[in-house]
Amino acid sequence: MQTPLKIKLIFVSALGILTPLIASLFFITNSYVSIGLGALALAIVSLLIFLFLKPVQDLIKASESLSAGQFNQRADIRSGDEFEIVGKSFNLMAGKISQLFQKMENDKDIAISEKSKLEEILSSMIDGIIALDVNKNILISNKAAAEITGFTQTELQDQAIDGLIHVFEDKEEISSKTYCQINFNKSAKLVGKMGKQTKVNLITTPVGQSLHSNLNCILIMHDLSKEEELERMKLDFVSLASHELKTPLTSIMGYLSVFVDENKGKIPKEEMDLVDRSLISAKQLLTLVQNILNVNKIESSQMSVAIEPTDYQKILTKSVEDLRSQATQKNIILSLNLPNQPLPKVLADPIRLGEVATNLIANATNYTDAGGQIDVSLSLSPNEVTTVVSDTGTGMPKEAIPHLFNKFFRVSNLTQKASKGTGLGLYIAKSIVERHHGKIWVESELGKGSKFFFTLPIVSLSSGVIDSSKFTSQQIQAGVLNYH
Amino acid sequence: MNPSTKKILLVEDEDFIRELYIRQLTKEGFQVKSAVDGVSGLNALKAEPFDLLLLDVMLPGMNGLQLLREFKTQNPSSSMITILLTNLGQEAVIKEGFELGAQAYLIKASYTPDQVVNEVKNALFGNQQPGGTPPPTPQPS
Repeated sequence: MQTPLKIKLIFVSALGILTPLIASLFFITNSYVSIGLGALALAIVSLLIFLFLKPVQDLIKASESLSAGQFNQRADIRSGDEFEIVGKSFNLMAGKISQLFQKMENDKDIAISEKSKLEEILSSMIDGIIALDVNKNILISNKAAAEITGFTQTELQDQAIDGLIHVFEDKEEISSKTYCQINFNKSAKLVGKMGKQTKVNLITTPVGQSLHSNLNCILIMHDLSKEEELERMKLDFVSLASHELKTPLTSIMGYLSVFVDENKGKIPKEEMDLVDRSLISAKQLLTLVQNILNVNKIESSQMSVAIEPTDYQKILTKSVEDLRSQATQKNIILSLNLPNQPLPKVLADPIRLGEVATNLIANATNYTDAGGQIDVSLSLSPNEVTTVVSDTGTGMPKEAIPHLFNKFFRVSNLTQKASKGTGLGLYIAKSIVERHHGKIWVESELGKGSKFFFTLPIVSLSSGVIDSSKFTSQQIQAGVLNYH
Repeated sequence: MNPSTKKILLVEDEDFIRELYIRQLTKEGFQVKSAVDGVSGLNALKAEPFDLLLLDVMLPGMNGLQLLREFKTQNPSSSMITILLTNLGQEAVIKEGFELGAQAYLIKASYTPDQVVNEVKNALFGNQQPGGTPPPTPQPS
């Protein structure tokens, strides 16, 4: 098939060949005419060639513009030949490039806006976020991470994390290799710029290797210092409020007890009962306030025990005698069985020890029905004295025993029976016994009664020094031991 | 044993508690004077000699221990007996009080006024009354 361009070329070639031939025929007759015709033919051929090649020039111009980035440039070729087809193809191609470029521009805008969204989310998070690459270099960090560590985000960028941020679990430093190996979720101390220390809850997530990124591990650092501050403020408030409550309560109890003492037998029993009950309630309230204060001290690590060699027999006897009338009123036999041999001195805070003994005996009285029996006894071993408070009371279900010494736990929570307890007494007793380096435990069977045991270290008689290696003589001399 | 021969100074800032202790001690026959803060307490001690000082530890301005330290500095040879009035959980303060020469301490919330009077008698006349140390333990919850 003959294409328009070929026809045009054949036409030009034919014209180019025929013109000299015709010209040479005229040359014989008239040389001027033939030169004139030759020149005319040459001019026509040149014009035709120029016209044929114009689309090529147009295409060159258009492609130059396109390569210069003018994607809306089109070639306007209407030569009716292949150049027009090439021109159309070029325009089509330019259109597609233009579309692609537009799409790329749009994608870029979207990516930028996504990135800035992500950055905004990261920077608005109150938890510090750090993303690490395979070599444990910092890829991404947020504002909170910078605040926690003391570095700027720029200072953190692309740096090896272990060189900048030191992580301590308890007192041992752990490297990123350790905490990124597994899903780590523990409280830790971070040491950052210029030794800046922050207590945080550190959560790490190892990230599976992907082709699209070299992310390896993500760290989330939750600053605990503010929470600790709040907790401390709460404890301070409770302590202040409880102390403030104690003053008027002491007054109430003092006045009521004087009133009761001075009016026994003078006013009718029924009316005396009113005052008696007020006094009992005031005592209960005071106990509650003291328990709250004690719990507060335990929680703020301020529970101190003034350890000294203590005559335990005297304290235990006093606790038993204090509760004897209460037991007798309930028709419960309360007996104290002391060993025949003299009791050696124990290492204890007399006041706190009294609290423990009284608590256990009072609990036994509360949970033993009329006609029951409570035995308080002591057994000796070379290093410690064990106190046993056993009762024939209601006992407790097996499932209660593991929780018995927990704060606010009451067996009544399980048995659905009413109880006057606050669920603090045994928690405090356990804390006190443990601060004396003793142990406390219980054996109990529902319906058959309970046996509470606790141990205390004994002062060695032979050496006159403290038999327990857990106490240093300085601590004993100092009188007050604070356990944290 | 004759309480009327004994002079007691009570330093306590809580009005109701101070007045209650004064009432009970006076009823027992003691000569009682009182002060509401550390400075007036110290002034009272300077004005006349006392046999026994019942001293609240927590006082406005000059606290009980500061008062005691000041008094001991000025009167190192004083034979006055000092009993500290405290609240539970002031072990460190009690220890410091003992170092300053206090002979005993009472936890106010754990002692009835009569027990306080007994402690005063014990301190002045020896252990003739029931209800001495150890202090009554709080009732458990």
